[in-house]
Amino acid sequence: MGVPAGFLRDARGRLLPASIPFRFFGAATVFHLLAWAALVPGALATPGFAGGLGLPLAALHLVTLGVLAMTALGASLQLLPVATRQPVASPRAAAALGWVYLAGVAATTLGMALAAPALLAAGAAATVGALAAYAALLARNLRGARGVPVVTAHGWAAWVSLGLALASALALAAAWLGHPVLARPAAVGLHIAFAAYGFMGLLVLGFSHILVPMFALSDAPPRGPSLASAGAAIAALALSALGSLGIAEAWLAPLAPAVGLLALGSHVVLMERARASGMRPRLGRSFVLVRVGWAGLGASLAVALAMALGLGVPRAPALFGALLAGGLLSLLLGMLSRIVPFLAAMHSTPGRRGPPLPSALTAERPLKLHFGCHLGAFALLLAAIALDSAALVAAAGAVGTVGAAAFGAFFAVACHKMRR
Amino acid sequence: MTSEPAPRRWSEPDGAHIDVRGLPPPQPLVAILRLVRETGDDAGAAVIVHHDRDPVLLYPELAELGWRADRVAGEPGEVRLRLTRAR
Repeated sequence: MGVPAGFLRDARGRLLPASIPFRFFGAATVFHLLAWAALVPGALATPGFAGGLGLPLAALHLVTLGVLAMTALGASLQLLPVATRQPVASPRAAAALGWVYLAGVAATTLGMALAAPALLAAGAAATVGALAAYAALLARNLRGARGVPVVTAHGWAAWVSLGLALASALALAAAWLGHPVLARPAAVGLHIAFAAYGFMGLLVLGFSHILVPMFALSDAPPRGPSLASAGAAIAALALSALGSLGIAEAWLAPLAPAVGLLALGSHVVLMERARASGMRPRLGRSFVLVRVGWAGLGASLAVALAMALGLGVPRAPALFGALLAGGLLSLLLGMLSRIVPFLAAMHSTPGRRGPPLPSALTAERPLKLHFGCHLGAFALLLAAIALDSAALVAAAGAVGTVGAAAFGAFFAVACHKMRR
Repeated sequence: MTSEPAPRRWSEPDGAHIDVRGLPPPQPLVAILRLVRETGDDAGAAVIVHHDRDPVLLYPELAELGWRADRVAGEPGEVRLRLTRAR
């Protein structure tokens, strides 16, 4: 491509240096490996898991904090400035918060695994501090955004959710240290709703309004229905919060997941229509993972609805957690497997023949292995919970670890080729 | 499919022009690539893009299609690109 080098440097100057987002992505690939590996020694406690310190809780937070939030931070710091046309206020602050967050997640999850409340509290403090700094950067970026109301609506809702998720996390950490400030069921309810569905879910759903049309080369979904879908998701979160705080719980506990299902369903319809109308509608394995992610999220909401209605679902808390974390993980890995080569190509130094092609930076064999292992591990984990089988949990952990290593290889190849 | 404003397109002797200024992402990317695909494989074909920012997401997609981008002079505040088939 004949773009003059100076022009490309100018264009790239508006982006964060590649080292910052790729550090987040690299850390996420390591935590991804650890999350699946933790299931092997934690197999006995996993099928009946219903909260409390130990390896299952550590594995869950290695996924949520270590993979999902870590990737969301890196991707949003990289892509939000492009979407909103607002540069990141302080690249140095973005880099620093990445290191603090990494240390915080490591200490938090180790504290959970070892059932060491003091280590957990120290890690939680660092994690909360880093996420608060990220929230400040996010707010500054969203405040200046113009012309992308769907992304900013999702972004602001995710921002509020992050605040509530952090507050409820601190309440839970304080309770583990013997200083309860909120009834544990209320804190757990608020934390799950606002950390997983609110912060992670809305951030991913919001970015999907740019990423899916970008992948499929299609027009963006229509603004009105997109904002209505976001409104339904926000309403579901508000209903869930009120229910968690004991307000009209009998009505709101089932209503919240029902409205959440409506929001998710409308989002999926909008995304599928956009994909189908694009110039590149066939998105391959990466979009299969995205669809598995949607299915996992929908199934988690259905389990939540069944629990609220008092329907007897065996080992419902573990099943709910696996569907929610596995769904979000599938969705995010599907997106990440497409954007990593693209971002790597964007950051590469053009050679004599121009910049490298994203397809040349994609290592297909590791991605294919990851795809099979990820789906296999997710299915094994669900079967393990359904059958109350520790052996199947260990098998899921082993298969998932192989898949995570393959995804790490895909990421390492993209980084290596980007630097060459 | 969308309620966003459409890009303006016209033809001049130097190629097919497209003005994507003011469009939110990813509409400029999609509109430009749609025009590039419509322009076809003619070795002499050119697309002139009138943009209000550096389209950083466009370059990897153009490279995949075998096209190149060159910056050309434009109005103040405008990023004008000439897209042609890479030789």
